[in-house]
Amino acid sequence: MTRLSFEEGTVRLTDPPADLDLAWVERDPRTKTARAPGHRYADLRDALDAAGVEYEDGVLDAPALDLTTSYELRDYQQAALDAWRENGDRGVLELPTGSGKTVVAIAAIAALDTPTLVVVPTIDLLDQWRRELEAEFDCDLGQFGGGVQEFGPLTVSTYDSAYLRADEVGDRFGLVVFDEVHHLGGEGYRDIARLLAAPARMGLTATFERPDGAHEVVADLVGPLVYDVSVDDLAGEHLAAYDIKRVTVSLTDEEREEYEAAQGTFTDYLASSNLQLRSGSDYQKLVMRSGNDPRAREALLAKQRARDVMMHADAKVDELEAILDRHREDRVIVFTASTDLVYRLSERFLIPAITHETGASERRTILRRFRDGTYSRVVAANVLDEGVDVPDANVGVVLSGSGSEREFTQRLGRVLRPKGTTADEDTPPEDVAATGGATARADVTPTQDDLPATRAGRAVLYEVVTEETAEERVAARRR
Amino acid sequence: MLTKDLLRVTRRGGGYRPQFTDEGDNRLAARVLGVYQGHVDETRADLQAALTSLEREADDFKLVRGFASLLDREATFETRAAVDPERTRETVFGVAAERNVVTADERDAALAAAAERLGVDAASVDESLYADREQRQVLVAFDSRWTPDELRRQYDLSLAQTALFDATEVRVLTNDPKAFVSAVKRLRLMYEIRKTPDGREVVVTGPDALFRTSRRYGTRFARLLRTLVKTSDWRLEATVDDRGTERTLELDASDLSVPGTDPLAEPAFDSGVEADFATRFRSLDLDWTLVREPEPLESGAHVVIPDFSFDYDHAPFRVFFEIMGFWTPEYVEKKLSRLADLEDVELLVAVDESLGVGEDLEALDYRAIPYTGTVRLKDVRDALRRYEDDLVAESAASLPEDLRPGADVTTFAALAEEYGVSEDAVEGKSFPEHERVGRTLVRPTVLDALEGRVEAEMPLSEAEEVLAEEGITEASALLSRLGYRVEWDGLSGGVLRTK
Repeated sequence: MTRLSFEEGTVRLTDPPADLDLAWVERDPRTKTARAPGHRYADLRDALDAAGVEYEDGVLDAPALDLTTSYELRDYQQAALDAWRENGDRGVLELPTGSGKTVVAIAAIAALDTPTLVVVPTIDLLDQWRRELEAEFDCDLGQFGGGVQEFGPLTVSTYDSAYLRADEVGDRFGLVVFDEVHHLGGEGYRDIARLLAAPARMGLTATFERPDGAHEVVADLVGPLVYDVSVDDLAGEHLAAYDIKRVTVSLTDEEREEYEAAQGTFTDYLASSNLQLRSGSDYQKLVMRSGNDPRAREALLAKQRARDVMMHADAKVDELEAILDRHREDRVIVFTASTDLVYRLSERFLIPAITHETGASERRTILRRFRDGTYSRVVAANVLDEGVDVPDANVGVVLSGSGSEREFTQRLGRVLRPKGTTADEDTPPEDVAATGGATARADVTPTQDDLPATRAGRAVLYEVVTEETAEERVAARRR
Repeated sequence: MLTKDLLRVTRRGGGYRPQFTDEGDNRLAARVLGVYQGHVDETRADLQAALTSLEREADDFKLVRGFASLLDREATFETRAAVDPERTRETVFGVAAERNVVTADERDAALAAAAERLGVDAASVDESLYADREQRQVLVAFDSRWTPDELRRQYDLSLAQTALFDATEVRVLTNDPKAFVSAVKRLRLMYEIRKTPDGREVVVTGPDALFRTSRRYGTRFARLLRTLVKTSDWRLEATVDDRGTERTLELDASDLSVPGTDPLAEPAFDSGVEADFATRFRSLDLDWTLVREPEPLESGAHVVIPDFSFDYDHAPFRVFFEIMGFWTPEYVEKKLSRLADLEDVELLVAVDESLGVGEDLEALDYRAIPYTGTVRLKDVRDALRRYEDDLVAESAASLPEDLRPGADVTTFAALAEEYGVSEDAVEGKSFPEHERVGRTLVRPTVLDALEGRVEAEMPLSEAEEVLAEEGITEASALLSRLGYRVEWDGLSGGVLRTK
């Protein structure tokens, strides 16, 4: 009799039916069997059932769980879950940051009662999901990533660890949830979805579109976009409104000189070597050339120095001082792409810093103290870019952004919590949003400045860029 | 292994060849070692600055970084701070949050307050705040186990491993296939056996390779290389997905060595019976060369690696030889089933008589050689003799009955070599244009000419010179044919006499 088993990211068919003709099932001369990629497991079962083939199914090693959730889903959350279930427990949900994507996934896990793998892009999100699952379910938790490699019926994993382990544990889960699913479009990460046998698949994202069209790949591996709701649809009802302020600063004469010199070295090289930088691939060519051309390498290093000057402009630190002064009563989170700048700001303003260098426990402590109000300010590198739950910052400051639209909106999402709403550690952010838009605070400090302090119920985001540099053009491109 | 950004390969001629170091790089290796040794008690940032300036002087910054990344594993870094940095941060950030530090003055005041709580001065607090950042850690010890030359070899091995990161398939010929195949299994990879003109190669891929070329097994291929370099004779060919372009990477034993180890010339023996047999067989001078664990054979979805092969010296012909010692019944059963599925090869099986499976083997068409204690050489020789007779007959049959060599003078040995057969195969032929003298063939015209030049009473050495001019080395047989005998004079020489 035909027998299905899981082998290293693939479904092995021992004694396959002779007349089986499926495009994605291959004869395997190495084992004298047939074989299908892990993600075709559900399709394969359907095809065999439809053909009336009798078979023994030993693919999944994922005994049923008994889970319940106490969450009351909001209308759009319920609609999202329904759409996903109607599509055969597959598909992508596009929901803005802060709208409670996690709650939808928790409801799905409870509905399916099956071992589940949650894949997340960052350690912070990993911690956050663990907290949520721990609070909601009475079940052993596993974790892949952040120095831990431990399986549990509910396991949270980073994309990197999932990539490394997918072929080995691909039979242990009935459901896989990809948080920030647009990451799955990346060439290597696709393997995670390909090698897992989990029949049920859910993708969560705030921004599904990828510039390279890789979302089509995601649709093939996880399912199509089955539900979406935009920030505007929810703003005012479930999410806070926000204002954006753009501040331009200048380089000092010294910085300007250094910048021009470095930039000059770079452009001279381009001119002398007939190179033009029109796209990322042109730049890639230059990087490759620098491997054995010392002049190209010198040019790249000069470009890096020019960028550093721009990013670390002293005036930015002064501007941040002004912003912090203006928002002494507010809860401020500062973002910047440069780790060195993070530490410079941390040392200057004595603000706790979170970067990839920050250890897991210290990072947790900082975020906890930020939540409980011990700290009212934090400065972070891009590690907090995505989905990290910083419940009640009402002022965001972005120093030197990188210009990609996704990064920008997701950073924006971080501060979508108006002042005056409350949250404590055990309450998920969704409940924060549920208290709804504007709650005026009595103690809003009046200022003399013509830039008003945050209006009650509105968050504010500062973007600080350096004048007349490429960085300004990056900011302009976004508008 | 290095990180991929440090990979150095040339793609000349469409290949993918790691840029291995040569002796000329010893100086650079020594300088990088020197930078590490000279930076004990300094910060990582300072060490890196020194390495960066070395990078600028060197022809290839990636080589400097490659050496450095290997040496970094030998270096110990430590945080040096007056107060534990994490505790310092807790205190400082706590104080700063209470006071809402914004201006420089507020900062100084907060630091002073924190210093008081920690019982140190403010400057120490400032310095300790992030003293545990990697950049500010201090190199406290550096003990390299490598000389510059060894560092270079370690680098070459790491570089080759890194070149395999993007490999999608590797093909390997090795003199220790057993160790290799077991490494393949341990790394959860799959293999196939493929016949090539140079022997059976092991083709290694991952399970998912069936559906798409995948680079996800690259790091495992890199680990396989570690197993290979421990043996003395191997060759590896890899298909590399080089950003969408397919290239071939070729490596062999001459490229790499592991510092501080000697590669094993031959796999270790599994049993005393095998070791004993190999020693005894090799002391005989037969037309067969004995090879240990020669190559993997396909057996259904499995692989069988026979203990030995006998390679015929005069023709490409290989007989495999397996010694089945006394094992558990399960082992014997598995062995028999593997042999039943074995690809079509010549196989002799020496079988411990107490197993009683001789008949089973004969039923599978394999020649069984029963033994007790030790395998008898005579039995093996007899078994081989059967192939030899066939090989001789076969090669003789492939030659015409009449042979007309072009040379005036030749020998059976030379002819056999020319035709690529054993001497036995040419001996039975006829030679219409030559006369057979001993094991030499001579044209009658040459014999006639020699008759005039060689005469009685000639010293043997002189006669030998005359014969040598015609290319004849087998003097005694020829002189006898011309009607002379040699009267020996002591040990040194002699004189020709008419018979």
